[in-house]
Amino acid sequence: MNAWQIFYRQLVELEGYKNILVGLQNTALIAVFGLLIGLVIGCLLAVCKIIPRNGWITKLLSAVTDVYVAVFRGTPMVVQLLLIHYVIFPALGLHIPILTEAILAFGLNSGAYVSEIMRGGILSVDAGQTEAGRALGLNYGQTMLKIVLPQAIKNVVPTLGNEFIALLKETSVVSFITVVDITKSLQNIANSTYEYIIPYIVLALIYLVLVLAVTGIIKLIERRLRASDRR
Amino acid sequence: MIDVKNVYKTFEEQPILCGINCHIRPGERVVIIGPSGSGKSTLLRCMNLMVTPDRGEIYMDGKLISPVDPTLHNGLTRNGKPDRRAIRNYEKDNRLDINLARQDMGMVFQHFNLFNNLTVLENLMLAPVQLKLMTKEEARAKAVELLERIGLADKADVYPSTLSGGQKQRIAIIRALAMNPKVMLFDEPTSALDPEMVGEVLDLMKELADDGMTMVIVTHEMGFAREIADRVLFVCDGVVKEEAPPEEFFSNPKDPRLVQFLQKVL
Repeated sequence: MNAWQIFYRQLVELEGYKNILVGLQNTALIAVFGLLIGLVIGCLLAVCKIIPRNGWITKLLSAVTDVYVAVFRGTPMVVQLLLIHYVIFPALGLHIPILTEAILAFGLNSGAYVSEIMRGGILSVDAGQTEAGRALGLNYGQTMLKIVLPQAIKNVVPTLGNEFIALLKETSVVSFITVVDITKSLQNIANSTYEYIIPYIVLALIYLVLVLAVTGIIKLIERRLRASDRR
Repeated sequence: MIDVKNVYKTFEEQPILCGINCHIRPGERVVIIGPSGSGKSTLLRCMNLMVTPDRGEIYMDGKLISPVDPTLHNGLTRNGKPDRRAIRNYEKDNRLDINLARQDMGMVFQHFNLFNNLTVLENLMLAPVQLKLMTKEEARAKAVELLERIGLADKADVYPSTLSGGQKQRIAIIRALAMNPKVMLFDEPTSALDPEMVGEVLDLMKELADDGMTMVIVTHEMGFAREIADRVLFVCDGVVKEEAPPEEFFSNPKDPRLVQFLQKVL
């Protein structure tokens, strides 16, 4: 048998494709929900950082944000994953599915990056927008939520797309905590057949296709969001 | 209606307002003019606390909306220092939440500041609905009525970026009107407009004046000031140098700086 036949046999006859589909699903789940959690955390942190620091509460929030961003940007994703799985959750006595753990870990990590992206986005919205909202009697939160954040998000969609792509690729380390993602599923095939060339090339192609698909989706979203800019 | 008491404001060590006082009565149209950098916009923006004074107080309908300035009261200082507890008690009894006060004070900006992410109709409905002053249906009816009044009903569902400057500013004005304010503050409403669009905005403001709206207007349109104002204030060096009804103000100015200013602009 040549390498192709071995790969085909493993994939189809031995039903390796089922593992690959599960892996693909896990990769997608971690990336998508990781980003969603990251977006929520990122928006909150960005607002905490941008809110006028005139009281001790706002100063505290800003300091907490600084620490959060420093910790999550300053340590490798794998290390955070290992800490969460082997140290923090056991210490808290939490027993949750490893996939959920992985999603949380990537969400927390992504939040740090998204917060910096969102901060830039919020600052890029004209101060007059906030003024107009406040002058109508809306409070700070309402103005942020209804006026500033929607415009900020629109401004940073291309950068957020970048973050999502980075996140998607970084999910390849989740097998460190025994989650079977797309990388792990093809690694399993390679390891069980001792034929490495084809599985790893296929793996690379799958990531490439995923990223290209995401790029297309981001472009679509950008175009839709730009509806309010059109003349 | 609005009372500005002994207000000081400094921006980056540059004194802008230096103990300014003025009083706006209900139903009155007050026009504020002055050289650029004189503090006239800052004065206007203090009235709804878009700018917080360093010292001095702002009152709206007799209620304090700015922080307390203890030096303006008896019994709020002890041994020459602010008495925290007395101030807190005074605020509890006399201070009106600024967000509530702003619901009664419409503001129109030089650069319109329509919400770019919302359609014209949504711009008009956002605040009344968010602040639970109207239901969605009421707010929509009010918005459509206002749009019809200014002849822009066909623009209800477009985004602000498709509008001309004059249209934007007129919609900014009715956005403030949608809140049924008691007073309207105008911060150089025509300064950013192409000349041919100034007229339509001034016409709408005149209509408002004829309806009896209380208005405070910072502007460089002297003809408009003369026509519409009950009283004109000349602000210079952070104080009100002169105030008078328009005929007297323009034909018989007394302050030498005002004489000089009018010579340049008229």
